[in-house]
Amino acid sequence: MNEFEPQIIAFACNWCTYAAADLAGTSRIHYAPNVRVIRVMCSGMVNPIYALKAFEGGADGVLIAGCHYADCHYLNGPVKCDVMFEKLKNLVHTLGLEDERLRREMISASEGVIFARVIDEMVEQLKKLGPSPIKRAREEATV
Amino acid sequence: MNRNEHKRIGVYICHCGLNIAGTVDVEEVAEYAANLDSVVVSRHYRYMCSDPGQALIKEDIKDLGLNRIVVASCSPRMHELTFRQVCQDAGLNPYLYEQANIRELCSWVHDDKNIATEKAKDIVRAAVRRVYWNEPLEVKEAPFNPDVLVVGGGIAGIQASLDIANGEHKVYLVEREPSIGGHMIQFDRTFPTLDCSECILTPKMADVGRHPFIELLAYSEVEEVSGSIGNFKVRVRKKARHIDESKCIGCGVCEEKCPWKVDSEFEMGLAKRKAIYIPFAQAIPNLATVDADHCAFIQSGGKKCGACMKFCEAGAITPETLLNQTDQIVEFEVGSIIVTTGYDVFDPSVIPRYGYGKYDNVITGLEFERITCAAGPTGGRIMLKDGREPESVAIIHCVGSRDQNYHEYCSRVCCMYGLKYAHLIKEFTNAQVYEMYIDMRCFGEGYEEFYKRVSKEGVTFIRGKVAKVTDRAITEEEKGKLIVLCADTVLGSLIRVPVDMVILCTALEARSDAEQVAKIFTLNRRTDGFFLERHVKLDPVATPTDGIFIAGCCEGPKDIPDTVAQASAAAAKVLSLISKGRITLESAVAQVDETRCLGCGRCEEICDFHAPRVIHTDGRWVSTINETLCKGCGACAVACPTGAMSIRHFTQEQIVSMVEALTEV
Amino acid sequence: MNLDDIIKETKTFYCLECGKCSSICPISRYDPAYSPRLMVEDALLGLEDDLVHNKELFSCLTCGACQPKCPSDVNYPLFIQKMRAIASSNGEHGECAHSGTIQSLIRLMSNPGVEQRRLEWLSNGYRTSDQSEVLFWVGCAPYFDPIFEDLGFKVTDIAKASLRILNFLGIEPMLLPNEKCCGHDILWTGDLDTFKKLAEQNAAMIREAGVEKIIFSCPECYRTFKEDYPNYVEIDCELQHISEFLSEAIEKDGLRFKESKKKVTYHDPCRLGRHLGVYEPPRKVIQAIPGIELVEMEQSREESLCCGTSAFTNCDSYSKQIRVERLLEAKATGADTLITTCPKCQIHFRCAMVNKAEEKGPDIEIEVMDMVNLVANALEGESNE
Repeated sequence: MNEFEPQIIAFACNWCTYAAADLAGTSRIHYAPNVRVIRVMCSGMVNPIYALKAFEGGADGVLIAGCHYADCHYLNGPVKCDVMFEKLKNLVHTLGLEDERLRREMISASEGVIFARVIDEMVEQLKKLGPSPIKRAREEATV
Repeated sequence: MNRNEHKRIGVYICHCGLNIAGTVDVEEVAEYAANLDSVVVSRHYRYMCSDPGQALIKEDIKDLGLNRIVVASCSPRMHELTFRQVCQDAGLNPYLYEQANIRELCSWVHDDKNIATEKAKDIVRAAVRRVYWNEPLEVKEAPFNPDVLVVGGGIAGIQASLDIANGEHKVYLVEREPSIGGHMIQFDRTFPTLDCSECILTPKMADVGRHPFIELLAYSEVEEVSGSIGNFKVRVRKKARHIDESKCIGCGVCEEKCPWKVDSEFEMGLAKRKAIYIPFAQAIPNLATVDADHCAFIQSGGKKCGACMKFCEAGAITPETLLNQTDQIVEFEVGSIIVTTGYDVFDPSVIPRYGYGKYDNVITGLEFERITCAAGPTGGRIMLKDGREPESVAIIHCVGSRDQNYHEYCSRVCCMYGLKYAHLIKEFTNAQVYEMYIDMRCFGEGYEEFYKRVSKEGVTFIRGKVAKVTDRAITEEEKGKLIVLCADTVLGSLIRVPVDMVILCTALEARSDAEQVAKIFTLNRRTDGFFLERHVKLDPVATPTDGIFIAGCCEGPKDIPDTVAQASAAAAKVLSLISKGRITLESAVAQVDETRCLGCGRCEEICDFHAPRVIHTDGRWVSTINETLCKGCGACAVACPTGAMSIRHFTQEQIVSMVEALTEV
Repeated sequence: MNLDDIIKETKTFYCLECGKCSSICPISRYDPAYSPRLMVEDALLGLEDDLVHNKELFSCLTCGACQPKCPSDVNYPLFIQKMRAIASSNGEHGECAHSGTIQSLIRLMSNPGVEQRRLEWLSNGYRTSDQSEVLFWVGCAPYFDPIFEDLGFKVTDIAKASLRILNFLGIEPMLLPNEKCCGHDILWTGDLDTFKKLAEQNAAMIREAGVEKIIFSCPECYRTFKEDYPNYVEIDCELQHISEFLSEAIEKDGLRFKESKKKVTYHDPCRLGRHLGVYEPPRKVIQAIPGIELVEMEQSREESLCCGTSAFTNCDSYSKQIRVERLLEAKATGADTLITTCPKCQIHFRCAMVNKAEEKGPDIEIEVMDMVNLVANALEGESNE
């Protein structure tokens, strides 16, 4: 019986969080292998459909991460992302998915350690929650 | 999207020596990639970024007719530009390229070879799926207007203007006050060398005044800026001086003869000027200005006074100029802008317990500068309001700075000017001097040495923040004095220090109209109120708005050496742009599908850069994008309800293709 | 189903190519590329591939304005529905508005593993019961609220007002805690697999609930249950739109309202009006409120102009122009308020009024309100909040 390995799709902004993920790599900080990172230019570029498509595909968790408020290359991207995220959170909650499956973080380019820590934390939480109900039903249907 | 195009994708897995190959089975990944949809060739090689590695790609593009390329290697933040150039050299549009990050995001952060290899396959699959949807993008360039606008004629603006004008490029220097000089011209001596501020500044001011490449627009304000880097349109309001500028020789007789007195802004209210005035002796431009609000002739519609007209030998003042002269609008175009609008002095009357405004002899640092200045209201005599020489002076540090209640930041220059005042008081009077400080910040060249020097001059340093300044004496000795109540944290006691004069080292703060200025120049403000630089360490004079730079105290409190350095830095940035003569526009910008556009304006509302604009065309309202302003941040595309707005190279199709590739079972 | 079957079932074969459909079609009026007549012609010529990959296939509003006018009784909306099913299985989906968020939510809902939290908007003041014989169908309101936040109203307020009315009439209806989307939008964009899943899950829940009557505040859910579900599942219940229920209550029980002085006009939603023939009940209800003056728009009842978008697909500048036409028509009546009985229509009208640009379009501002909100405000007694 294989231990459940959750899949996380992460949207990382080019200037901050993606750079932080790179820094974790350059610093050889090891973290859980469950995340797949998609680069966007700004956290304000993240459209709710990206997260919903990830859940449709059976992802167990979605992480949306970008700059801190004062750092955004495009000035107010994080604020715009906040507005989008409130809506997305509401939709995902109404769908009945556990709140821990959708996460928002602000990770600056120098915070490689934090990026790794967030991934490890999220993987632990998702392991406890188990597979997403979408994935579970899909797997049961194929059995 | 050319949906009929047959995609031919080439995939290249880089070993990066052992950096990737040591953990990821690159051969297995290459084999896996070979079987992906539309992949024509899949190779692996030791160093893809090396010359032979790059040659591999170029040959394949030519021989195999590849029209999409994926390199699985390090982070795109490292080599995306390298491989885009490789594609371009081989005749393939650089945007038909994707980099799969299997090093920083995979081989360097995992140990287990099986896990890392599986993860690498996922990352490559996602990149292959995405590159399928990539579109060729045009790399556009625009010409660059070499003229420059400098806003603010203090030392920063003066320095930047001279640096650029000396390179024989045209500078428009706009200054709000009747003369350039900023705050620096108000100073007496400058630390740590104590040279006279006017003496070092006025030669530069004179240079500006007569420079063939500087058009000085004094007593003027920028009202509107539109356009973008390389092509700004500027509208300036040149305020009416109510004199004929071409005739005025700056002799000052009009000021002498004018009977109407007004508090002098230059003298910080410590002296009067006249309704017609030249702010100070070395004013550039050396022209008189009529303060219309206080000119009796103007206020009475031409019935009263008129003294200046009688005595002006140059005939520069006439009823016509006084009554009918209006502000002028000047419009011009520039390619870049340097904002050097300086700072305001913190108003300590918001701290009533320091007694500013209540007691005559509690003054700010800038007021003290005017007092010690030989050309100032007291002729350089350090004296109290009633003319007596002070027997004791307290200099209070950190008034409004380092204070949660006012400004959290340190104003950087106050410790030094506080020491300067202590030195001057010791040099010119017999007064006792007390410095009430929290820390002594003497970080610059010669600063610590100056501190040592001053501390040997018999100045009393008391480490403690001042609680109160009061005139309520409780002992005989305190009668008629100002008593400074403070903690002496070194001795661990509360002390009362009776003095005659209190100098408040007030904070430097952002200008009161910084908000409006920020709007005009599309600048952002930091939480401390000063303008936001692009990167606090690596790009302190650029701003997120391309082509607009900031320098000097408008970017944050700083001393004269740092101000001059920043001004020259901004000038250098501008000169570099002028030298190149053209700008490369961001290709991955927003685009509108007009058929799908509702003209609702949500894009216009959300954009911080004013790139989208709804226009009325062909009977419909549709959004249009100014590509020179667009940064490609993507916010408008998220706000768009119909999908009319998309970001080139980051379309929904492209990003969703990655999500789907990564989550497929 | 193949093209031949579709042609047979929808009577497309009888098309005279007279062009009456195109002349009345609101999309054709604004989009030069759209012609119902030419689409039918393509079908009759057997050009299945062209049809299936034609972007315009998803532009039809399926409003049914053409159907009553067609001299040959061609069922064009059904023709479109069936063609889209073929298109969908060929990977064509039209251009989903709102980035396809709604379609994605519907697909997620169709997953049997999903246990929603869709009743958190329901406050204690509203009385519901697990024992009731009446089920109130909430619809996708809990999802629309966050998505359409910037339109200045809550779709769940329609559900709340409906519950207030039902409570007032002594009914404490059941609400399904895991109600799945009726599937209207998914059916009309051709995704039959998902539609089937939704229909089956809803039918099972309704069966288990043992209710005898289902009341709808959304005409699209109502139409789907009445006309489309019978092809897939059995729903052994009486189905009614709340306007029909209220109209009966007014006639039977002499329901009285508070006075409300308002000049209003009524917009017939396509699904309630032309699709199901329900024109008079909402009018009866509105006019039963003392003080209300109901003025008809130029195009009303069977002639009613569609609100401009269907199934959140292919919403574009033409949709906007249709909405502007309709809102100008509403304003021309002199009414203060535009009443409708469909949450989708209200969403689309309010969206059309969003005008954040500096360059302002025509003035189409008018208050839009659902009939149930108008009625709930006119009920005697305290609010249920």
